[in-house]
Amino acid sequence: MDFDFTDDQESLRDAVRRWVDKGFGFERRHGLAKAGGHTRAVWGELAELGLAGLVVPEAHGGMGFGAVEAMVVTEELGRGIVHAPYAAAALMSPVLLSEAPAAVQAEWLPALASGEALVVPALHERASRHRWQRVAVRARAAGEGWLLDGAKCVVPAGDEADAFIVSARHAGADDAEAGLGLFLVKRADARVVGYPTQDGARAADLHLAATPAVLLQAEGAATLARAIDVGSAAVCAEGVGLMDRLVGITVEYMNTRKQFGTTLASFQALRHRIADVKMQLELGRSMSYYATLKLGEPAAQRQRAVAQARVQLGQSLRFVGQQCIQLHGGIGCTDEYIASHCFKRLTMLELTLGDTLHHLGEVSARMQDSAGVFA
Amino acid sequence: MDLNFTPEELAFRHEVRDWVHQNLPEDIAHKVRHALRLSKEDHQRWARILGAKGWLGWGWPRQFGGPGWNGVQKHLFEEELALACAPRVVPFGPVMVAPVIMAFGSPEQQRRFLPGIASGEVWWSQGYSEPGSGSDLASLKCRAERRGDTYVVNGQKTWTTLGQYGDWIFCLVRTSTEGKPQTGISFLLIDMKSPGITVRPIILMDGEHEVNEVWFDNVVVPAENLIGEENKGWTYAKHLLAHERTNIADVNRAKRELERLKRIAKAEGVYDDTRFRDQIALLEVDIVALEMLVLRVLSAEKAGKQSLDIAGLLKIRGSEIQQRYSELMMQAAGPLARAHIFEAMEAGWQGDLAFPGSILPLAGTFFNMRKTTIYGGSNEVQRNIVAQTVLGS
Repeated sequence: MDFDFTDDQESLRDAVRRWVDKGFGFERRHGLAKAGGHTRAVWGELAELGLAGLVVPEAHGGMGFGAVEAMVVTEELGRGIVHAPYAAAALMSPVLLSEAPAAVQAEWLPALASGEALVVPALHERASRHRWQRVAVRARAAGEGWLLDGAKCVVPAGDEADAFIVSARHAGADDAEAGLGLFLVKRADARVVGYPTQDGARAADLHLAATPAVLLQAEGAATLARAIDVGSAAVCAEGVGLMDRLVGITVEYMNTRKQFGTTLASFQALRHRIADVKMQLELGRSMSYYATLKLGEPAAQRQRAVAQARVQLGQSLRFVGQQCIQLHGGIGCTDEYIASHCFKRLTMLELTLGDTLHHLGEVSARMQDSAGVFA
Repeated sequence: MDLNFTPEELAFRHEVRDWVHQNLPEDIAHKVRHALRLSKEDHQRWARILGAKGWLGWGWPRQFGGPGWNGVQKHLFEEELALACAPRVVPFGPVMVAPVIMAFGSPEQQRRFLPGIASGEVWWSQGYSEPGSGSDLASLKCRAERRGDTYVVNGQKTWTTLGQYGDWIFCLVRTSTEGKPQTGISFLLIDMKSPGITVRPIILMDGEHEVNEVWFDNVVVPAENLIGEENKGWTYAKHLLAHERTNIADVNRAKRELERLKRIAKAEGVYDDTRFRDQIALLEVDIVALEMLVLRVLSAEKAGKQSLDIAGLLKIRGSEIQQRYSELMMQAAGPLARAHIFEAMEAGWQGDLAFPGSILPLAGTFFNMRKTTIYGGSNEVQRNIVAQTVLGS
């Protein structure tokens, strides 16, 4: 048992942090958000650092790193409030491509790893809310290929992506496990309606009408579940980095802002609040580690652990975000100040890949007689 | 980063598990499993069994006859005992006063007091709080006046847990009123059979006699029972408070009690009620998160980093969780929680004691647990300490 990072992992963290310090200050983020949230250029810069291919196997031009490195990078991007679709494109898509035919992998993974291609998962549907396995988009075989019909919504960076990995059903009822396939769709072949998101990035709705698609995996439910958990662990890690940043900003503010002739930090009501914030931050960090370190476990244990982590992070993100705004007072509510940007991202993160109530339902359904880190 | 214990640590866990399995008396485990009253004899029998194995002072270094375990081993030991339904070791001797005697006592004091603590023969009590000194402990007034080779002690201690069984009591006493309150306090070991000591019960709201008032009326204590130097007692007490920081979270017991909560909820038919079950799920998440927090502290200590700033959070969270599981157990029992079971049993109540999810004194435990956010430095005082660390001001 050991929660220290290796020297290599610390170097990776430093590299991302240096890029954030140098190239992604708050003014740039604010400007990008105001201009509609386009982040393809940011994705390109991350790719230059090698981060697009962080977990892509070396044989396909990536760095072949594992879950802990992914957590380290994601935490730092969170700390930098970087609104690139990093977890979706760099962490989830490689999982979704991992069982695809060799030729498809050889075509897409090197391009993904170099940053040349932005490939994002398109998994959500209006009617399924957080239940990713409930899929109404239909796939039918047509000659050598496949055609898809239906719609996906809130696809990350959808109108900036080159291709989508779409979950679609070729057999069975909407919520059946069997018959759930994974397909690759090029952006040019779909009707894409992009829009800015609340947290300063972009998303898109995807309309599929006899849209040509490449089959990645015919029975993809297990792969999809794994990708969702990888994305959920990334939500935890990004949240931890963001909370760390926001708490630091808030502590500094409490030590400088004066009211009634003294600093905010001298009022016990506010001191107790920041102690509670610290509690939620550290519980969240603990469970982010837990989620990442459990990603390699068999599906049942992995899904239970990730759901437990998301319930903790959901509470942490909400409490830390809301209380840090409250501790700031009026300035915390303004668009020009960094705290509100942290808060909005924290709030949207809680809703990403299942909200807290959804994950609580998962924990509840998966409870065993015994519980604990090693249960 | 690695979540798993090493093969050596796992082998250690199994050694402890096997030993506990073979040596913990079933009648005692039964009482712990069902939260029944433990007698003085139960506590002592178990303490002597541990003592004979050399494990009653499980946190002690080798030079004082302890096993010399590291933090992870101590944690695993505590976990195995808790999961096997062993009683919590009464901490005042082996966990609280012994480390102070080891660190600040004379060789003579170490020879005199440590063997009786290690074997479980001598029952120690704690004399810290006073009626006027709760959270503000340094304001304590119980006076010890030096007269030749003795101290004469006058005053009152309170909340003395299981003091009715105590052979000895370690006390913080005032030996000076000059300077800051903290600088006039001494650490004194007092034989509870000394003339002038009166122990009076305080009955808590669960109806149980767990704590006491201890009165000192011209009690003569040999000066050789002073630990370290006069007026340095506050420093020694802080050393004691810094000891066993992870144990205070009591996460191992929480894991065991979560299992019990699920058994009760199943037996009472609320485990499949979504509204109730989600509350258990939330508690389960809280317990896993607390365990991760504990493991992070242990890992930092193993790596020689003593000052991980999250250790102060453990007491707050651990005590909140204890209150929560006791509350949920009471709620799971439904209307039956209202019956005063101990009294009902004595009046001939025919409860099914063999019932897997026995509803034995669940409300009593809930009432008893109100103490956890108050003792050992109230959670509000703990928040002050955490805030100091976070704000640096």
